[in-house]
Amino acid sequence: MKLATKAWRALDERLGVQGVLELALHKEVPRHRHSWAYYLGGLTLFFFAVQIVTGILLLLYYRPTAEAAFESVQFIVTRVPFGWLVRSVHSWSANLMILAAFAHMFSVYLLGAYVKPRELTWWTGVAVLGLGMGFGFSGYLLPWNELSFFATRVGTDMVSKVPLLGHWLLRLLRGGEEVTGATLTRFFGIHVAVLPMITAALLGLHLTLVQRQGMHVPSSREAEARRRPPLKFFPNFALRDAVVWLGGLAVLAALAAFFPWELGAKADPFASAPAGIKPEWYFLFMFETLKLLPAHVVGIEGELLGLAAFSVAGAVWFLVPLLDRGGASGRHSRFFLLLGWIALGFIVSFTALSFLGVFE
Amino acid sequence: MSRSLLLAAPLLVVASAIAAPRPGTVGAPGKTAQDSCTACHAGLDDRRLQAPAQAASDDIHHRQGVSCAGCHGGDPTSGDAAVAMDPARGFVGRIESGQEPARCGSCHSDAAFMTRYGANIPTDQESQYRTSRHGQGLAKGDRNVATCSSCHGAHGVLPANDPRSAVYASRVVDTCGRCHGNVALMTGYGLKGDELAQYRQSVHYAALTTKNDLSAPTCNDCHGSHGAAPPGIESVSNVCGTCHLTQRERFDLSPHKDAFAAIEQPACEACHGNHAVIEPNDGWIGVGEGQVCGSCHSVGDAGAEAAGGLSSALAGASHAILATSRRVDAARRAGMLMEEAEVRLEEAQQALVLARNEIHTVTLARMSEQTQAVGRATAGADQLAAAAEAEIRFRRTGLFVSLGVILLAMLALALKIRALER
Repeated sequence: MKLATKAWRALDERLGVQGVLELALHKEVPRHRHSWAYYLGGLTLFFFAVQIVTGILLLLYYRPTAEAAFESVQFIVTRVPFGWLVRSVHSWSANLMILAAFAHMFSVYLLGAYVKPRELTWWTGVAVLGLGMGFGFSGYLLPWNELSFFATRVGTDMVSKVPLLGHWLLRLLRGGEEVTGATLTRFFGIHVAVLPMITAALLGLHLTLVQRQGMHVPSSREAEARRRPPLKFFPNFALRDAVVWLGGLAVLAALAAFFPWELGAKADPFASAPAGIKPEWYFLFMFETLKLLPAHVVGIEGELLGLAAFSVAGAVWFLVPLLDRGGASGRHSRFFLLLGWIALGFIVSFTALSFLGVFE
Repeated sequence: MSRSLLLAAPLLVVASAIAAPRPGTVGAPGKTAQDSCTACHAGLDDRRLQAPAQAASDDIHHRQGVSCAGCHGGDPTSGDAAVAMDPARGFVGRIESGQEPARCGSCHSDAAFMTRYGANIPTDQESQYRTSRHGQGLAKGDRNVATCSSCHGAHGVLPANDPRSAVYASRVVDTCGRCHGNVALMTGYGLKGDELAQYRQSVHYAALTTKNDLSAPTCNDCHGSHGAAPPGIESVSNVCGTCHLTQRERFDLSPHKDAFAAIEQPACEACHGNHAVIEPNDGWIGVGEGQVCGSCHSVGDAGAEAAGGLSSALAGASHAILATSRRVDAARRAGMLMEEAEVRLEEAQQALVLARNEIHTVTLARMSEQTQAVGRATAGADQLAAAAEAEIRFRRTGLFVSLGVILLAMLALALKIRALER
């Protein structure tokens, strides 16, 4: 104990860590009707941590070549002790992480937490979600099975629609004209090195900002927050966070054990695409919208127009702290609130309708 | 054999009135014939006379440099119709059906001449035709029988491997059916006229038309193309055995071979039928209603007893495969990779196919070798399925234990929070 105290003092002398501890010990979390939203970011972080741990375990056996990728995943799920669990948890946790991140982002948006002074927190958060989707897209190909191969072919083909740079982008993404072993190696590199590096930096900044600025109180709940005594971040809020994380872990374990992630058949580039090729569920709303568009709209290719519209919508979404004029006063406007509900309704309904097979 | 004859058959229709083709009527191989016949006939108002000229461009003979005069005679170099179609210059006009085999055979039976169009082109079509039921009828003066143009057409003759050709594998049944599907016409020859309708119910027709399997037999594969005749009692197993080699070998080993010959029972046809060859099943074996052994054997005789033994051995093997497949499927649905078990099941399935082949020997000892192989393979798959089931149980138990631990931890934390905030 004495040694630990000495070590702490030594560390504090050099790095001033006592200040950080003081911050954590004195940090408070407001209490009101919408306090539940404060747990969504932590839950996303928990699933991200699961991804790191299971991802590293998978790395011990995974081989990123067209010849060996499928077989190595097969080896993991059949021969490696608890390999089936690790792989299944990695796949399920990836999906739950995206789901939790979407829930986190929409709660932040609809409660108006993006307004001044939290613009940077919003931007880093949206960027991290984008990176999360990138993780999903690049990771989907790695088992090199039939579905992932053809879904990647369709997905990467989308970038070829970008005016002027389309073909160059397609080649950059695929490492050639077609989805081949070169694409697999490239996606592997992106999945395990490039994205984690950028995500670590942005997530670090995002978390620092959250700690630095504290929790946002929605304007409609300010009176309630003033009335009710706040929670201490440590240990009260942290313990509640741990309960939510354990809940997430329970759901993850049940899903992984009862619905093991399927491996499917090995990708055969010469086979014809199987029927019903679909991307991961979080890309479905875009995928189905692009499919619904006519081939040409006023002389412009329908798909190109759709992608342009999604790009504009994405840019508006990202820049909302600047576009929402109410933001400067710390309160979001009704117009942008309505826009948020429309976006949520659109994404949820299109994803659900796609699952129900309405678009087939 | 018959298929290769068919492939070369269109050239049979290349005919000439004279034994050696005359200069100018037969051009160099590969060079499209140019003459006044097509030029003039193409411009005629009478569609009947115009049609041959229009069909000429696709015609294999025309494309190989054989002009109209090759069959019809006359002088194709003259633009004057009276000269071009002068009987003194060999013009014969319409070729009477009785003359067709000789007319086509004048080139197609000439091995030296046909060599110009390719090595090893068969030249026995005419001689085969003469031995066929069609050829025999023609020799007796029957003008209803099929001659060369009945199947190949007179003008616009296409190679047999051209899907548009009337003698292309998948179209042969319709071509033969033009006459053999005509009940009134066939009754005169002692035929029922329902053979085509029966064939269309067969597995052979299904393979040919739905699977596009051009190796599946159609009329000419069993009856011959040019030497068309029904296979006799003796030759049925030879005909079927062309493709079904193993079954034929097994049948030759069986006591049925001599027994069938003694009672003049056609070999394969006795159980499988001829035109309406449908998918066989294990339920056929036995002497009960709708079972094939019952046509010769009856309850209590040695044959019925043997059939019973064969039937139960097959039923046991099929049941083992079905039961194991269900078990393996259930494990797969539960998320287990069952590829090794599937390989074992595939082995079992192959052994069952071999066991079914042994039905043709009607010897239980031979079949048992294969049904035992089915048993060994399914036992292997069962073992793997049992291991998978144990693994599933282990995983579920593990999950419930961990869920219990997680819930306890959540409860402990909730109590801790309560204690802190009291």
